[in-house]
Amino acid sequence: MKLYRSLIYRELKLTRKRCILMLILFLLLSLLMLTPIMLGGLSEPYEESPVEMVLLFVGIVSLTGGFMAGTNNGLQKADINSGWKRYSFVLPPTAKQQAISDLFVKLCYILFFGLLSAAFALIYTIAADFNAFGIMLNIYLGAVCAVMLVDIAYSYIVMFANDKNQFKVIGVIAFFGAGFVLRVFGLFPDMNKTEKPTEDGALLSDKQFNRLMSVLTSHQTTLCILAVFVVLCVLFFLVMWRSRERREP
Amino acid sequence: MNDYENAIEIKGVTKKYDGFTLDNISFDIPKGCIMGFIGQNGAGKTTTIRSLLRITNIDGGEIRLLGLDHIKDETAIKKRIAVVFDELPFHDVFNAKDMAKIFEGMYPEWDNDVYMKYIDRFQLPQKKKIGQFSKGMKMKLQIACALSHNAELLVMDEATTGLDPVVRDEILHIFMEYLQNGERSILMSSHITSDLEKIADMVTFIDKGKILLTGYKDEIIEQHGILKCGKDKLKEIDTEDIVSIRTNDFGAEVMVTNRENVSYKYREYVIDPASLDDIMLYYVHRDMKEWS
Repeated sequence: MKLYRSLIYRELKLTRKRCILMLILFLLLSLLMLTPIMLGGLSEPYEESPVEMVLLFVGIVSLTGGFMAGTNNGLQKADINSGWKRYSFVLPPTAKQQAISDLFVKLCYILFFGLLSAAFALIYTIAADFNAFGIMLNIYLGAVCAVMLVDIAYSYIVMFANDKNQFKVIGVIAFFGAGFVLRVFGLFPDMNKTEKPTEDGALLSDKQFNRLMSVLTSHQTTLCILAVFVVLCVLFFLVMWRSRERREP
Repeated sequence: MNDYENAIEIKGVTKKYDGFTLDNISFDIPKGCIMGFIGQNGAGKTTTIRSLLRITNIDGGEIRLLGLDHIKDETAIKKRIAVVFDELPFHDVFNAKDMAKIFEGMYPEWDNDVYMKYIDRFQLPQKKKIGQFSKGMKMKLQIACALSHNAELLVMDEATTGLDPVVRDEILHIFMEYLQNGERSILMSSHITSDLEKIADMVTFIDKGKILLTGYKDEIIEQHGILKCGKDKLKEIDTEDIVSIRTNDFGAEVMVTNRENVSYKYREYVIDPASLDDIMLYYVHRDMKEWS
């Protein structure tokens, strides 16, 4: 237990600045979304109904929270640059113990931003008398999963860097590699197709909106996203384990 | 805790890189000894240290630390050893107190009192960020961390390189104190041979990935000498006695092995004692035989 306390203390302390910065951004955005409610705006006649407004706010806040929670915390990069990665091979914690600590810290951030997103969703729920919690959870976890997937891919690539210079080289290769992949995707005709706006200029027709709502409020969606989230957590753990275990050539 | 005779046993270790091979190296460090590991830059010191610490995997051979297998018993070994690198591997945002919090959970025998004693002794600030430390302060902090968990084996890779003589002397003095109970051992790689001459009991000399000499420092120094003669007299010296010859405008200086015998053999010549620096220098040029 003492060992994990040390490992987690180190990781939290190192990622603290980044977390504070993200928290400030998140709060600013969320407070901006709260402005109409604070000004009593939801009772005013708007183009969209209050429910649609709330859904938009909850969606933006949850997406932002999910993005911030799931994104890479820069720890691997910092460990490579400081030389700690090499030093960690001579320290008693095993690769598995370090990977557990990595996952725990990740889950801490996911829980933290999840609770914050839920708190804002609760405010909207009270203001509009519409339960948006299920939607918030699905959007939040969906965003976390999408960003975590990128993080896992990034962490896997970073694993091959042992020092600052290798990190730079691998970073450049990954950047151009990602660009190449996107370029290849762009060659498929369907990928560039944009949705046609409805007659009244709205992005989604009523039918599409209702379908989206039914997907977002469905318990099956929650279960599916949760299952994906668990799989991604396991994957994240495995990548971190491999990364911590991988010796220098 | 197991009983062991040698703190480090390296047998036939091989590690191949593009353009460099650590070639079948073997040496032991008896318990309670300070081993100086010398060689020029790129000779294989760091590769050897990384191999024995399992920072890199070896291609062949066997390594035992504190009587334990370096792969099978890796976790057990790492609780009982300490490592000091040439550069501080700690993050700049931490301070000395943070490092204590990090290490106290990692090492079962971490002693905060000992750590704070070293911090006070080195006059290191407790709350100042490491990023604001000088090179000397960083090295002292690394050493304080390494000496605070009762490690039985201390491995140092160029730890004194880049430090001023005062700090180096202070650090060497602390290592001597650390070894006083006879249960601890040190492997210290350096190309500053004067440091090793001061504190090492044993010396291992590596060049181009091969161990050229290993043994007790005093014996190595006693066995070698520099014979001074004119260039025209070089033919009189048996090649088997010669490591290499340094020539200059005034004559030749020959590094000889088996100094006692050689001094009887060539009574007419002066044979000066050789320092570790000289020995290293002449061995590095052994392939050329004659150099200036």
